[in-house]
Amino acid sequence: MDQTEKRLIKKVKKRDHQAFALLVERYKNSVFAICLRMVGQVQEAEDLSQEAFIRAYNHIDQYDQERKFSTWLFRIATNLSIDFLRRRKNTVSLDASVPGTEELTLNAILPDEGEHPEERILRKETEAFVQHEIDKLPEKYRSAVVLKYIEDLSLKEISEIMEIPVGTVKTRIHRGREMLRKNMTVKGGKQT
Amino acid sequence: MSCSSVKYLSLMNKVLDQEATDQEKQQLFEHLASCDTCRIHFNELKASTELLRRLAHPQLPAVFTKTVLEQLPPEKRHAIRRWGSQHPVLTTMAICVVPMSLVMIGARRQVREKNNYVLIKGLGDQT
Repeated sequence: MDQTEKRLIKKVKKRDHQAFALLVERYKNSVFAICLRMVGQVQEAEDLSQEAFIRAYNHIDQYDQERKFSTWLFRIATNLSIDFLRRRKNTVSLDASVPGTEELTLNAILPDEGEHPEERILRKETEAFVQHEIDKLPEKYRSAVVLKYIEDLSLKEISEIMEIPVGTVKTRIHRGREMLRKNMTVKGGKQT
Repeated sequence: MSCSSVKYLSLMNKVLDQEATDQEKQQLFEHLASCDTCRIHFNELKASTELLRRLAHPQLPAVFTKTVLEQLPPEKRHAIRRWGSQHPVLTTMAICVVPMSLVMIGARRQVREKNNYVLIKGLGDQT
């Protein structure tokens, strides 16, 4: 961990809001990406990201300075997302998302980089399709796959975030990857 | 998959995890060249992870940080200390005033005592 970050955390331990603001700026989009791909809903992901940072601030004394701050923060974000998924599973029939609405909210905040309307539509459709496939993964495979392919973290970092051995991380990624492959290709009629 | 070899499946995983040796890579690619089932399987695995990698990373709005800060418990630092860290020059000056004024008061007292001594001594000499 770099020295600036160490200094910032020291200040946060003394309850310095400005120092914490800098840490939020540094990690907010990574935390958001994890939550978004874990739960698949923009508004929920934003709320979960907020909660993750508030929790990190309130429990900063539990953070072990010898380890990477991002590992600790991503663990909070992943656990909150999993808790959310479990809660949602129990109340799913009441507020099941209407197909299509989520896509709209996500597109509203995605940058429009001057691409052709056709390209944009295609990208949106691919995006929604891939997210839908992630949503089908069991949560333990989902978190491993998200940390690996969305955040591009090493197996070791993932094992520290999820607090499981590297071997287990590998197994979960392999199974998640295999499930994605199966589900994604069955639609194209190419199932092996 | 019709090619029943678990061996190649685990090789595929090793290659995708970037943990395969050159020899293992070669072994897999030689097999893929001759086995359609495994080649399709491997390409599908690669394609699905590639789709994941290409997912957008949307940015949170700038107001996010502010919203988080507003929900934190109030800062423990006193207003004076916060003012202090925002105005380091004034703080240093303020801190320096204390010892400087002590020194000056001390110096003036010394001078006064000396004067008194001279005065008393002067009186004593007269008598």
